[in-house]
Amino acid sequence: MTTIRLDDRLLALRGQVREWGADFRTLGLALDRDPELIREHFDLPAVRYLSTMGIPPEYGNVPIPIAGNRFYGTLALERAIIMEELSCADVGMLVASPGPLLAGVLIDLLADEQQKDWFYGRMLESPLWTFFALTEPDRGSDAGALSTTVVPATGDKPALLSGAKRYVGNAARAQLGVVFARTSPGPLGINAVLVESPSPGFHAEALETIGLRGARISAITMQDVEIAPERFLGRHLSPSRRGMWAFVQTFNLLRPGVAAIALGIARAAHEYVITHRSALRRDERDRLDLLARRIDGARRLVHLAAAAVDARTGDGYLASAAKVRAAELAHDATQQACTFFGAGARLEHPVLDKLVRDARGMEFIEGTGNMQKLNLFQGLFTGKLDRDDPFRTAPLAG
Amino acid sequence: MTTLAHTDQWSRCHRAARTDGVAPAVTELAVAVLPGLLPCGPAGHAIVSEEIAAGTSRVWADGVTVDRSACAETALGEIDLPGGPVLLQRHRAPGGVNGFAPAQRAAWTLGLVWLRLGLSEELRETAMRYLNGRRTGNSTLLQQQMVKSTVADGLIEHLEVRAVLTGIGPGELPDTVLNHLHAQLTQADRALVKLLGASGYLAGGPGQVARVSELLAEAYCRPEEWL
Repeated sequence: MTTIRLDDRLLALRGQVREWGADFRTLGLALDRDPELIREHFDLPAVRYLSTMGIPPEYGNVPIPIAGNRFYGTLALERAIIMEELSCADVGMLVASPGPLLAGVLIDLLADEQQKDWFYGRMLESPLWTFFALTEPDRGSDAGALSTTVVPATGDKPALLSGAKRYVGNAARAQLGVVFARTSPGPLGINAVLVESPSPGFHAEALETIGLRGARISAITMQDVEIAPERFLGRHLSPSRRGMWAFVQTFNLLRPGVAAIALGIARAAHEYVITHRSALRRDERDRLDLLARRIDGARRLVHLAAAAVDARTGDGYLASAAKVRAAELAHDATQQACTFFGAGARLEHPVLDKLVRDARGMEFIEGTGNMQKLNLFQGLFTGKLDRDDPFRTAPLAG
Repeated sequence: MTTLAHTDQWSRCHRAARTDGVAPAVTELAVAVLPGLLPCGPAGHAIVSEEIAAGTSRVWADGVTVDRSACAETALGEIDLPGGPVLLQRHRAPGGVNGFAPAQRAAWTLGLVWLRLGLSEELRETAMRYLNGRRTGNSTLLQQQMVKSTVADGLIEHLEVRAVLTGIGPGELPDTVLNHLHAQLTQADRALVKLLGASGYLAGGPGQVARVSELLAEAYCRPEEWL
């Protein structure tokens, strides 16, 4: 019988990324004060790795070998392991790092060969930030209601993209991104287009946030941004496969990674207490042990959820469960960690304060806890989540 | 390493808890891992089916086996449940007994978490059926968002417990982790029972099953201060 234990290959990946994380930990607070500091650290191994993570080998990606293996980050389980380790080191550095992440997953699902060559080629030339623009002001991530439009080309007039997006990571400094927009009403009218920045009519600016400041969460406005025909993603696919279907699959694939980020924050809080508190009382040890058990339990769920989406991208219900659980855990763990340091803990321990602030962001990223729960319920109610064997599609479950 | 035989045992016990009830599931587990023995917890408490109570001449006291006749036996009660009654007993074993069998204990304690997981999952299904049959306005109670959220919270707890148990063999999880899993299941049960309203308060119904499930943890888990 197989188990959910990681094999030697994945353990080596975890060990290496954990080692890389030491740089992130050192720079975390400084980056929190100045998110642009990341520009001075493109040479760090973790930043270099993230800058091409997710690019398949056939497009020329040659990541640093780890224990004789190359990890392309094309699997959700690999990404979950990497994200937990780097987030545990410093989530700000992780989300500040350039790379194809969200947009890359969508490209992998949706783009034709020419589009992949172009996008991956750009990403391999030099570290670039990318963005994934779905959420809109006043509408959140309700894709059915999105109102950004792309007016199709007519005659010699190019297609024009107009509208506004909000809460988009790294958009203010990105060179490439994906924007979801409508060509017509209804779910089949949603398209994803590739956009370069700067482009005439495209403007993005960073929003000041409480935490996760490395992400440069941004607001975008677009007014008649010209979109060439070859920038319509999935132009070789039917409309039903390139709009809502595509971003649902993308989110399914990414959600275990988001859960792993939250898990990493929880672990960082736990490790902070262990490192900075000596001579724990019995009740304190018990509380800390309980936290460790909760972290271990959540990790198992995250890994099974990742294995499930790797096996079948439509199987995102476990990932919803994992994301809710890990986000709640990050919230609890960071708050609890403060109680080990007496009055004014957050004022005296800037790292703890940062962990608390960062953890709060995990509640809404990639869908709020309430939305995830509704999704999970729907999976249960409709029978899409197997009630008898919920890990059936997760190969690690055996 | 988990053996196929063990996996089958947990699977049968888990399934029996979901489909047949507490007593058949306890019988299934006891017969599989403690054949011929009456399973008791660290303080001598037992919650068993009539079949196990009547068909065993030796007592298994948290890892140590003694003749039943050597124990002081007290009946603490009987609870009627779907699938048959369970008997609550105390068996005081004489002191100074040797022969602790860790493998048996590891199998029983792990199986008990699978059993309670099955009971808790069935409670979730029962609550969903119940609320799907009750209407408010143009919809069912089950389709109310607060209800959906509570169901999802219970399901998340079940999934995490199952994730921790999956692929694990007897003795691989320490008692502290097993106790934590029991606490998660108790928390899930208490939240899910609330969905049943007053009907969850009736003896013989799903609320009672949840209560007995808690008692199983109470009887068979070593207290944290022992660990």
